Amino acid sequence: MIPHCQLPSHIATGPHVSPFVSSPSHAGRAEDLHVPSSGSSAPFSVAPSADHAEASAGAEPRKHTTYPYVTGNSVLAIKYKDGVLMAADMLGAYGSTKRYKSVQRILRVNDTTIVGASGEISDFQYISNLLDELMTQDFCYDDGCTMTPKEVHAYLCRVMYNRRNKMDPLWNSLVVAGVDKTSGSFVGSVGMLGTSYTDSHVATSFGNHLSRPLFREFQRDDMSLEEAVSLMQEALRVLFYRDKTSINKYVLAKVESSGVAISKPFALDTKWDLKAFVNPSKHAVGSW
Amino acid sequence: MSGVGSGYDLSVTTFSPEGRVFQVEYAGKATDNGVPCVGVCCKDGAILAVEKPEETKMMLPQSNRRIFTVSRHCGMAVPGKLPDGRQIVSRAHQEAEQYKRFYGETIPTKVLCDRLANFCHVFSLYWSLRPLGSAALTASFDDQGPHIYLSETNGVSYRYYGIAVGKGRQGIKTELERLKLGEMTTREALKVVCKCLMRQRDESSNKKYEIELAWISEETGREFQRVPEDLAKQTVEDAKKEIEQEDSDSDMEA
Amino acid sequence: MFRNQYDTDVTTWSPQGRIFQVEYAMEAVKQGGCAVGIRNKTHAVIAALKLSQDADLSSYQKKVFKIDNHVGIAVSGLIADGRILCRYMRNECLNHKFVYESPLPVSRLIRDVADRHQVATARSWKRPFGVGLLCIGHDQTGPHLFQTCPSGNYWEYYAIAMGSRSQASKTYLEKKLEDFESCDLDALVKHALRALEESCGTRKKDDKDGKLTKDNCTVALVGEGNPLLVLDGEDVAQYVDAIHAEQEEQAVAATAAAAAEMSIDGSQGRDATADMPDAPTGGAEEGAAAAGEDAPASEGQQPMEEG
Repeated sequence: MIPHCQLPSHIATGPHVSPFVSSPSHAGRAEDLHVPSSGSSAPFSVAPSADHAEASAGAEPRKHTTYPYVTGNSVLAIKYKDGVLMAADMLGAYGSTKRYKSVQRILRVNDTTIVGASGEISDFQYISNLLDELMTQDFCYDDGCTMTPKEVHAYLCRVMYNRRNKMDPLWNSLVVAGVDKTSGSFVGSVGMLGTSYTDSHVATSFGNHLSRPLFREFQRDDMSLEEAVSLMQEALRVLFYRDKTSINKYVLAKVESSGVAISKPFALDTKWDLKAFVNPSKHAVGSW
Repeated sequence: MSGVGSGYDLSVTTFSPEGRVFQVEYAGKATDNGVPCVGVCCKDGAILAVEKPEETKMMLPQSNRRIFTVSRHCGMAVPGKLPDGRQIVSRAHQEAEQYKRFYGETIPTKVLCDRLANFCHVFSLYWSLRPLGSAALTASFDDQGPHIYLSETNGVSYRYYGIAVGKGRQGIKTELERLKLGEMTTREALKVVCKCLMRQRDESSNKKYEIELAWISEETGREFQRVPEDLAKQTVEDAKKEIEQEDSDSDMEA
Repeated sequence: MFRNQYDTDVTTWSPQGRIFQVEYAMEAVKQGGCAVGIRNKTHAVIAALKLSQDADLSSYQKKVFKIDNHVGIAVSGLIADGRILCRYMRNECLNHKFVYESPLPVSRLIRDVADRHQVATARSWKRPFGVGLLCIGHDQTGPHLFQTCPSGNYWEYYAIAMGSRSQASKTYLEKKLEDFESCDLDALVKHALRALEESCGTRKKDDKDGKLTKDNCTVALVGEGNPLLVLDGEDVAQYVDAIHAEQEEQAVAATAAAAAEMSIDGSQGRDATADMPDAPTGGAEEGAAAAGEDAPASEGQQPMEEG
């Protein structure tokens, strides 16, 4: 507290003072009176002054991420007879701008596991580093034990949930898929709040609404790879027609007991000369 | 001379009148009397080899390791007291991981080995600790090429073309000096290293030995790996045969 | 006893590069009751001999601990030190389970606990743990049997014994080593108990001392699809009774064989021995052992000094 800056008490405790300010001495900082504090007397000091930090901490609660910046959209994954299949497009959208068009959102974790991510791309890059460290640990132990898809899923659940409890969430929805020697295929999902589930098919973001109905109807655990691929393509096409923040550039990844394979980027055949598109308002009766 | 029994050799924080710290030297003895470890740097990579006595057939052959992986591009052999050595390995792993996390690149070998030497050195600074009875014989491959480093318990760390520590190190070093390691590939050097180790064996004891081999080279994709079991076995067999051959040749000449 | 000036502190190296305090701690392990461990293709078993202050007045000290569903340990030496390590290992397993929802690989657990041993050998305010652990476990790489040492060393074995008079057990294990890999779980437990009984000490025929009883030994086993099971008291009684019964039989068979060989017609005697073990419980290899003429017959009953 700086004595000569002390405000009259009726102002300091007045109704305009934030309820977060606990003691009267917190109000009436040097900053309020435009008196340069002794710590940052340099005219062009870059760092915010300590006074400023304290004052704003008193005025407003501390904030972490409240929205993502560069985002990826839907990730889809299904089980089939010999393993699992995952697909995602390669867009990194900056708001609604299609800003980055070669973002690999499916990560090969090890010989049995892949992880796909929608949401904040930078957070996914951080998660990729975490997983890489874990895999390096397995490599160093060199004891024949490697992480199973189930373990990777459980680990990511803990990471996401812990961060959410710190009120500093990683802004992603993650899909973990893979094949375990003992327990077979695995497909699971973790949300940014740590909510998790496993199923025969999962999807994130828009895919949850548009693709999963298709999966529910047509996905079977004993379907062949060809069937699975064509189902996946159909699901992606349906998504692409309706999802503004997606691009026609996809990556498909599969895991079988023989290992992981991630495809080169590819595009789907699309058809836009449908009658309904010629005069869109004709069929949209009741809309404006 | 005031050495053993003089009282100047009981604590690591005591200098002798001649300016020596005996406790550190004694700890070095643990390494000197321990199993022989060799590291060599070749044209396209580096090799680590450790010769261990085979204790009992009830033990698993792969058990009792002395070569550890520190990160993908770096591994380490520990002579002397194995538990002490594992502490260095754990630290090395931490350093490598932390460096990667912070800078996004693999740790340069020199930086790693210097940090490990510092780590060892700390144990010789306080009366409440004891110097580690081990050392770190590091093999790695970074953008500067293959490396062999030895970081010792007294806090020094040097880079080598070839180095041996432990029992019989003097003999092995002499043999290594005669070789042109820089012109060999790791594959060729594998057998040569085994021969060096085998020649220095104590022939009087009837112990059985096994040799633990690991390498890192262009061939392994600059990844630190233990030499595949069948290749290691074959190499040791070949080395044994060649030694016998050479011995009988020299007998003939005599 | 004061051997030299270098042996009173863990942080003092001797001029030869040894640490006597650690070596003395290893002696404590040798004072502890014997523990035996064996593994086969699918399972790992430990059997431990419990000691008591006074056989008549006190209970036996518990020395086999469950760490997790897939890991168990037997402790030799200062049991109290062992319990500290036991708590540590349980914690490690629980933490791993919390994060990964899977059991901690046994080799990694052992490396961690061995590192803990090492730390106690390098700080002036600590002393080495006066225990050795025999640890059995099962993970995705199969069954495992490890031994740790106060020095911080650890090894993985097919079969091993530690503790007082464990040399006798080791002799048994070395002799039977080839049988273990393929034998079934029941036979494995019996092998462990027979090996353990070797360490029970000097004994004469019909002397109850130096025998295993259901009260003085514990068995633990773990394997594929078989969470750790600790057998005590009545659970272990059936195995103890079984091996004693087999020994009786073999003793009878051996005398019969000896008698037969004394008699003029040796071939009849051999038939007699071959028939004997078929009668009640004897497993295949016990039968074979008994049938193989003289040498292995009364193994379990030979006095220690000769074993």
